[in-house]
Amino acid sequence: MENTTAVGKPRVNQKKLQIFLLDHVIEIFLAVLIIYLTIRMDSFMTWSNWMNILRSNSLKGVIALGMTMVIIAGMIDLSIGSTVALAGVIVARSCRDFTAGGMDLNTACVIGILISFAVAILIGWLHGTFQHRMGMPAFIVTLVTLNALYGLAGIVSGGYPIANQFPQWFNQLGMGRVGGQNGVPIPAIVLIISFLVILFIMNYTTTGRSVYAVGGNPESARLSGINVGKTKIIAFVAVQIFAVISGFMNSGQVMAGSFSFGRGWELDVISAVVIGGSSMSGGIGTVWGTLIGIIFMGVITNGMTLLNFDIYTQYVVRGIIMFLAVLISSYRAKVKA
Amino acid sequence: MSALQIRTEHITKDYPGTRALDDISVTFDSGKVHALVGKNGSGKSTLVKIFSGAIKPTAGDFFLNDEKLHFNSTSDSYDKGIVTVYQEMSLVPFLSVAENIFLGRLPKKNHAIDWRTTYQMAGELLQKMKVDIDPREKVYRLSMWQSQVVEITKSLSFNPKVILLDEPTSALAQHEVQSLFEAVRALRDQGVVVLYITHKLQELPQIADTVTVLRDGKLVGSVPMRDVEHKDIINMMFGEIKTRNRPNDIQMQDDVIMEVKGLRREGWYQDVNFKLQRGEVLGIAGMLGSGRTELLRGIFGADPVDGGEVVIEGKTYRKANPIKMKDAGVGLTPENRKTEGLILIHSISDNLCYASLNLTANGWVENKRKRHAFAQKQVDELEIKIPTLVAPCESLSGGNQQKVVVGNWLNNSPKIMLYDEPSRGIDVSAKQQIFEIMWAQARKGVSSIFVSTELEELLEVCHRILIMRHGRIVDDVKPEEVNINELYEICMRGDN
Repeated sequence: MENTTAVGKPRVNQKKLQIFLLDHVIEIFLAVLIIYLTIRMDSFMTWSNWMNILRSNSLKGVIALGMTMVIIAGMIDLSIGSTVALAGVIVARSCRDFTAGGMDLNTACVIGILISFAVAILIGWLHGTFQHRMGMPAFIVTLVTLNALYGLAGIVSGGYPIANQFPQWFNQLGMGRVGGQNGVPIPAIVLIISFLVILFIMNYTTTGRSVYAVGGNPESARLSGINVGKTKIIAFVAVQIFAVISGFMNSGQVMAGSFSFGRGWELDVISAVVIGGSSMSGGIGTVWGTLIGIIFMGVITNGMTLLNFDIYTQYVVRGIIMFLAVLISSYRAKVKA
Repeated sequence: MSALQIRTEHITKDYPGTRALDDISVTFDSGKVHALVGKNGSGKSTLVKIFSGAIKPTAGDFFLNDEKLHFNSTSDSYDKGIVTVYQEMSLVPFLSVAENIFLGRLPKKNHAIDWRTTYQMAGELLQKMKVDIDPREKVYRLSMWQSQVVEITKSLSFNPKVILLDEPTSALAQHEVQSLFEAVRALRDQGVVVLYITHKLQELPQIADTVTVLRDGKLVGSVPMRDVEHKDIINMMFGEIKTRNRPNDIQMQDDVIMEVKGLRREGWYQDVNFKLQRGEVLGIAGMLGSGRTELLRGIFGADPVDGGEVVIEGKTYRKANPIKMKDAGVGLTPENRKTEGLILIHSISDNLCYASLNLTANGWVENKRKRHAFAQKQVDELEIKIPTLVAPCESLSGGNQQKVVVGNWLNNSPKIMLYDEPSRGIDVSAKQQIFEIMWAQARKGVSSIFVSTELEELLEVCHRILIMRHGRIVDDVKPEEVNINELYEICMRGDN
């Protein structure tokens, strides 16, 4: 008996250690990467570089936080890039057309913002309803809206970018900084606030627990008296709202709305969530993991740029990282079982 | 074709702690349909597994004609011409009948599939089975019995000597059974040894030539069908067994907590009416396919109903759903705990608190301390054996998983608990503990409806047992008034 415990104990600890390492592999990898880049280049570990990383990754990062809810609910939303474009052109067109009718520019802009949010809620509701009620795969439903909303953004904008219609403060959404010229970019602050909001929802509310339950096993959740349809709709609406906010910041940065904005963003957004450890089959994932995933993607891109990797090599490297992340999470599921 | 026989000599199979088969010597000849019957756990599926090469006997031998058989895998038994047709369908729905029959060994000409020969060969086999099925038809367009026949035809394409049919009618409607029997008789007339495993005794006079009964791993008898009557078979299956009774202190109260009025779902159950008293443990007995599980799910609103109503404490529910029923104080532990009752990848603590999600929160905001306390309370009261509360549910044994499913609902302080096959796949002591939990709840005034395939469990646990047959409640018995054989007889009566 004593022999078996003597042999058995370390094995248990070893497995625990293995699981701990697998759970935090991205954090560890990120730390190693940061240390390497810091030693390798003086320009990396500087305030301005970090603020740069934050600013350029916050726009997709904000959406990735919303996407975390959708993916943990066992769903997916491919349409967010089109929503980014649509939000920009709606506000741009509101600013242009309503002021042409004699309205104050700020009011016109705010009306555009409100319309965008209403559209976001409607789209999210449609996604959730069609997926849940009709049993259509989320992949297909949102692939449809990816195309339809892209077209809609083109229609709203008349096929051309709408530039220089926004009030000056709209520019601040994308380009502004808090604390002077070297301060924290506003998109980074939006990212942090969004992170805290989603973190709270997912970990401290009944909504968050329902999202986990629905993603983990929709049938068990339903038979436990959890409103599965409502939960999915909340997740779909959340990601759309974050896409709209991101769209405002994006259009604010360039002071224009265009239907071509946001093209292909869905893949980067989903990558960040998956690298952060969320499972595409639902029920598993953390908001913290997604934040790490966003920073990881940002640091690696920044590092490769500083090291003068060409853009094509960067794509290959990012592909490999995505592959490794999924490989690790599949392996982790095996080890735990 | 010359006569064939498959024979066992003193076959014994031991599993840790139990003897599944005990010294079985029996012979099955060709040209006959041999029914193999016995209640759950009698050893009939163990015997089938030995014939099919899935497991090896601990002791004893078995022979095909005079050749002694040693199987290391199921493919060995195929090579000897012993083919098993399992009750779960293994056909590919979007392929044609012919393609399914010859899947993986389609005839070829010049490296391309020779479709003409494929359809022709399949057509010949189907003709032998005396059925009119188009070999070009896609399988998903077939009815259940036709699919079952295609499955049997597929096994016939291996030129088998012995065919084992495992509950072939369990998924079939009444009128389809006759069509399947035609095919089984055609099979028998091909000179194949047909072993027919079933629990539907009413089928035996129509299809079986001999009946072999196993009980607790022992061979009770193997007799020609014409020599026995229905009740003889039941006696052979159950023997003399004493049922333990529920403790005397569990008394139901006089007031009715729930009344089901005219509940119906087309094709599953019709015109179901009964009353449930406070603190009552009410059993529902019936054969597989009688609509027990569907009725329970209909009451809970897990599946839609076509009509009728459920009245709980004076409030009427017409189109119920699990959310409304949860609010009404009803809980359901579903038949399949792994796919419907639990979220296996989530922790024990989470799984114990999904039904009570709103009780462990202050409004919208979760109270983790409260949730932990709720989970711990059920772990203590139900004596759930766990490593830690945060361990995933999939790490638990069947019995403990079942307790988590029950605990999930008890945390919601239910007034009525619906248990669907709560004892399935869990060991004897865990079963007993589940019953203890039901009784403990009854003492607190919680009413239960208990659905089980195991009739002796119902006799042991319930105050009253409703009998369901073909989707109707046909009788209502008290455990004190019937024994197991009579109960079985009532469940089967009126069939055919």
